[in-house]
Amino acid sequence: MTKEELQQLYSDKILVHGKDPYHFEKIAYPDVEILAYNPMCGDKYVLQLVKGDDSIQSAYFDGFGCALSKASISILLRKIEGMSIQDAAAFCKDFIHAIDSGSGIPSDDPALNVLLELRNFEGRVDCIKLGWESLLSGLGEES
Amino acid sequence: MVSQIKSRFPIFQQHPGLVYLDNAATTHRPQAVIDAITNFYVADNSNIHRGMYELSANATTAYENTRRKTAAFLESDNPGTIAFTTGTTESINIVARSFVEKRLHPGDNIVITMMEHHANFIPWQMLAKARSAELRIVPINEKGDLDLREFGKLLDAKTKIVACTHISNTLGTVNDIAKIVDAAHKKDIPVLVDAAQSAALYALNVRELPYDFLAFSGHKMFGPFGTGVLYTADKYVADILPYNFGGGIIQDVTLEDTIFKKYPYHLDAGTPNVSGVMGLGAAIDFIKGMDTKQAMDHVNDLTTYCREQLLKIDEVKLVGWPKSQGGIISFLVRDIHPHDVASFLDKDHIAVRAGMHCTQPLLAFLETPATVRVSFSIYNQRADVDHLCDALRGLIKFWS
Repeated sequence: MTKEELQQLYSDKILVHGKDPYHFEKIAYPDVEILAYNPMCGDKYVLQLVKGDDSIQSAYFDGFGCALSKASISILLRKIEGMSIQDAAAFCKDFIHAIDSGSGIPSDDPALNVLLELRNFEGRVDCIKLGWESLLSGLGEES
Repeated sequence: MVSQIKSRFPIFQQHPGLVYLDNAATTHRPQAVIDAITNFYVADNSNIHRGMYELSANATTAYENTRRKTAAFLESDNPGTIAFTTGTTESINIVARSFVEKRLHPGDNIVITMMEHHANFIPWQMLAKARSAELRIVPINEKGDLDLREFGKLLDAKTKIVACTHISNTLGTVNDIAKIVDAAHKKDIPVLVDAAQSAALYALNVRELPYDFLAFSGHKMFGPFGTGVLYTADKYVADILPYNFGGGIIQDVTLEDTIFKKYPYHLDAGTPNVSGVMGLGAAIDFIKGMDTKQAMDHVNDLTTYCREQLLKIDEVKLVGWPKSQGGIISFLVRDIHPHDVASFLDKDHIAVRAGMHCTQPLLAFLETPATVRVSFSIYNQRADVDHLCDALRGLIKFWS
């Protein structure tokens, strides 16, 4: 990836989430709280879920991290609202598999496809996966 | 001088535009070190301390000559003070587990500092927990200097070791080891110095700095990965127990018991990294062949120049401003995460480190989740700093 491509990527697709992330706030009474922490780089977020009857009613996050991890979690939380716990876990699993294996996942969501494009970003794959892996692990404990 | 030195490092021929500012993580290797490793495999390959044939005897001689060379590097006249290890981390763990553990009783204490790398933090934390001892942390001030007055107060009759870094791998603080050793020795407390960041350029003369244990890594002083040194003062040599068990370290084994060789030979369980030690020896030759005073002045000049240039960029905030700073600078760029900074600098062929630098307690104290870190060596030049600052200005403009 050239510098120009990196700038293009950030300005078009990453910074929009990084600067105005979805539900980037800490709520007082979540039903589920999951820590997303990468001890190698110091990125640390708390993911908060509010459950409805059968689904994740809303999702929030707060904390510190790079533009990539923040954008990735922003996209993730927007996607899982309305999903059941099981579906959200399966969704995370499929995404992580797609990143690791280089395969695609059936999605017409441009935001999600941007994240998948980033799997070749040298040294930054952990930033993209941080929220997804933490959520998957946290939901596993929930179910 | 720099271009001449740089030409001895083949990495810069492979990557002519590389601005390498991550020397605190690992330095590059001169051709002489690469050749020493290769030549060993090509011409001298054999196991040591085992074979009754010329090739093995020659390899053993070369290995032991490197031990002598390493002792001389520290101005120790006793090669028996030098153990070869896999690196600073193992050297420190050996002292923790094979020396301090048996002397540490419930209620005793270990003194370390707030700025230690995890390699010189966790072994002591775990040991203190296991032995119901106290881990005492020397505080630092907001500039990143040790509070030596407080350090003096932490030492008492129950202190079993002081373990301190020579140069902070995050802030670049150069600690006053002479003062630390002097204060500890007045109370007969042994001192371990983590010299990972200083071994390449700083004089570690044990006659002038009478530390009791010194730990450093080959790969941060132009040598190979997987090599390291533990120096142990004569007075403690007999107190070091074997660390791992296996072949090569024994005098006699019976069904009932084993009698071990003495330090340092009882630390070489299994086959040592012979080729690595050959490379380490070549790295020491390389350093000894330099004008180290001139090299250190050069790195100090780069440090000062870099600090000055970074300060000219309003959006850059330095993390730490120690009285004496040795080739390492941490900083922040506006609200841009250090990882994003590092990724963008990479596109300008500038290699820096971003993150916590294995110093989580220090960063927690500084209330800083992560930093960008630049670290210099002999092949860097002022143009590298200029290139860094230009790239940072470009990034700040882009991010706005």
